[in-house]
Amino acid sequence: MKRSVSTPGRAGTLFALLAVLTLLLVACAPAAAPTDTPAEPAAETPAESPAEPAASGPSGTLRVAFQPIVATDPGLISSDSEVFVANHVFDYLVDVDPQSNIAPRLATDWTISEDGLTYTFTLAEGVTFHDGSPFSAADVVYTFDRLRDPDGGLATASLYGDIASIEATGDLEVTFTLTAANPFFLYDLSDNHALIIKAGAADPGDFNGTGPFKVVSYTPEDRIVLEANPAYFQAGKPGLAGLEVIFFADDQAMVDALRGGQVDLVLRMSTALFESLKTEAGITTLDIPTNGFDLVRLRADRAPGNDPRVIQALKLATDRTAIWQLVQQGYGAVGNDSPVGPLYGPYHDPAIVPVVRDVNAARALLEEWAAETGGDPALNLVLHVPDSGGRPDLAAVLQQQWAEAGIVVEISVEPESVYYGDNGWLEVDLGITGWGSRPYPQFYFTQMLASDGEWNEAHWSDAEVDALIATAGSTLNEAERVDAYRQLQSILASRGPVIIPYYFAQFGAISEAFLGFEMKAFAGRTDVSGVTLAP
Amino acid sequence: MRQHSIVRRLLADPASALGAAIVALFVLAAVFGPALTPFDPNQSIYESVRVPPSAQHWFGTDHLARDVFSRVLAGARSALLLAGGGTLVAVLFGTAIGLVSGFRGGWLDEVLMRFFDALLSLPALLLALLLLGTLRAAYGESVSAIGRGLGVFLVLAVVYTPIVARVVRSVALGVRGRAWVEAARLQGERLPRILLREILPAALPALAVEAALRFSYAIFLISSLGFLGVGVQPPNPDWGLMVNEGRRNLSQVPWAMWAPAVTIAVVVVGANLLADGLKRALMERDLQREKDA
Repeated sequence: MKRSVSTPGRAGTLFALLAVLTLLLVACAPAAAPTDTPAEPAAETPAESPAEPAASGPSGTLRVAFQPIVATDPGLISSDSEVFVANHVFDYLVDVDPQSNIAPRLATDWTISEDGLTYTFTLAEGVTFHDGSPFSAADVVYTFDRLRDPDGGLATASLYGDIASIEATGDLEVTFTLTAANPFFLYDLSDNHALIIKAGAADPGDFNGTGPFKVVSYTPEDRIVLEANPAYFQAGKPGLAGLEVIFFADDQAMVDALRGGQVDLVLRMSTALFESLKTEAGITTLDIPTNGFDLVRLRADRAPGNDPRVIQALKLATDRTAIWQLVQQGYGAVGNDSPVGPLYGPYHDPAIVPVVRDVNAARALLEEWAAETGGDPALNLVLHVPDSGGRPDLAAVLQQQWAEAGIVVEISVEPESVYYGDNGWLEVDLGITGWGSRPYPQFYFTQMLASDGEWNEAHWSDAEVDALIATAGSTLNEAERVDAYRQLQSILASRGPVIIPYYFAQFGAISEAFLGFEMKAFAGRTDVSGVTLAP
Repeated sequence: MRQHSIVRRLLADPASALGAAIVALFVLAAVFGPALTPFDPNQSIYESVRVPPSAQHWFGTDHLARDVFSRVLAGARSALLLAGGGTLVAVLFGTAIGLVSGFRGGWLDEVLMRFFDALLSLPALLLALLLLGTLRAAYGESVSAIGRGLGVFLVLAVVYTPIVARVVRSVALGVRGRAWVEAARLQGERLPRILLREILPAALPALAVEAALRFSYAIFLISSLGFLGVGVQPPNPDWGLMVNEGRRNLSQVPWAMWAPAVTIAVVVVGANLLADGLKRALMERDLQREKDA
């Protein structure tokens, strides 16, 4: 009797117990996997390498884990993985090296006229597309005419708006004429989208490039398989017989695959995962500083941010070093409230640092401001945060630090699509935004800090700053530009509307079976054509 | 005397006693926990970042150097307030609707039950996500923490009211033809009096069990919503939210995920054991009574 009474209830308990256990198992599955997987792929790897004897030519296949690609047309690519694939199938006219210097690629040499308006490029000889047709100046003209066509619907149209004409001045010579001097024009030409496609290409997304690797097969959402282009024009490249980009949805899965030997290279991962790889045998970990950063900004065009004392109080209440240590675990670099990051050579002045944390001074400033304007010394603002990267963590630490100065903020973590959707991020008073690493700093200023910047999220307007930005973006005198950037840094450190607590590091991890790997600050532009299999 | 015997029956069974003890401990933690936390649950302790469990930090510290034990303890109150409050509202509404619907029958019963069928056909988590999404669209992303808490509270009430209503209704249906109800009706007693005095007592055992069950599922649902990032906002020490944060840092600070995950498991199982024991105790008592009669 007792049994029949209790059965339904027991079943319910059992079900709940199972549900809880399932949740636990799901949550810890990725961590459990790596410990028991290595045995299986270990048998697979040696079987693969001897199959390709050390005959003449490159050997070995590098398998790279990346998020899935969607766009294949160089004019439309945007994500790291899309740029990575395109960069190995196509070639840039000029490239950027890991130190952010301009480097030759299809253009072997160039001359710039005195007035900075005419650029003449000499192109490499003997280059062919993967379909066998020869490469010439006409392909360069076609590519850039397409990218700058205002009616073409490509994002690069405004970037190349300062080009007056592009002409093939020889079979292997191209001349660009500008409407105004642009000291960053070579960097503009190395833009992620500026990969040379064949003149008149019916479908620019069909992988007919001149690059070091040819596409063998592409299975959307699964992988793209490439093989060495034996006719590649740069001697000794590529150093590998094949390249495979295998698609993963998240960094945890990528790292597990690297541990298990299913992939050889992972770029971009969370700090926690990177830390966990450092002790892994057979894997080399790399971290390089970048110029990318997360910024915290307060709208400067309305209360409370329209009084400089308020932003000053926030700056005084922030401990950048503690945030960097906690959120970035000491990778990358401490921020100094300016987008001129530590990798910008002479532009970056390490001596310019923001005010040292002083909680009492912050509190006093806010109380003074509140007494004068009738504002709330606790501010009571909502801090809007996209849910990606370390941003929610940054918000949590800021909330604590500011609370010590009596500042109350409430965190609203939002999916990236919501944060950036309908330009809501430009509307809110207090927000955290991530900015990726760029090879030169002018972009951040014209887009984010100039009065008329398209993404002037702080709604800041400062005549002195606007003038300095204009100078830095137009002068052909390098010393003058260095001076302009340094003045901008000191203005931003003392009274700018943004707090930049740290510059990110870029993480990568590669199997020790490969040599010659060099990572770039923008992961997608990392070039593996020089990588070789270790003997 | 009657109450006493139920409690005694409950505690006589080891599993039920364990469940009762866990729930009691949980309630104590919710009431006194925030005052007892050894560290501020939201404050980073800069000199002990990501330290494993130790005498000083019983559950270690998390990726932002916050004491995990303090966070788990502090999280008990919001879990109890939301789960308990949501369950209470669901039980009140569900009982009222179930009694009227079951006793009156007819078109009112049909309309209410078909509507509830529609709600019940959706999985609880899906319905909760739908409702929270709608609330958020209506009131914007930037509703206050209290607003978000109220949202979760409301969602629990809406999701669980139909379930409670169906249980009460089935009891009401079963007893409405009984002699003592007929007698009350013939005496000319009014509807509320009949419902409360004659029918509700018959539904009480089932209702008590249902409430305890709903409570345990509510804790689970709140944690699921926190895990998915649609419930309470960080850095609040919500258990589900902590599991999700811990999951992202699992490779470095596994204890920060295990502590809240195991806590959720223990409390949910405890509440289930209690519901189970309550049900058995009540049924045994009824059997005893029938035998005595």
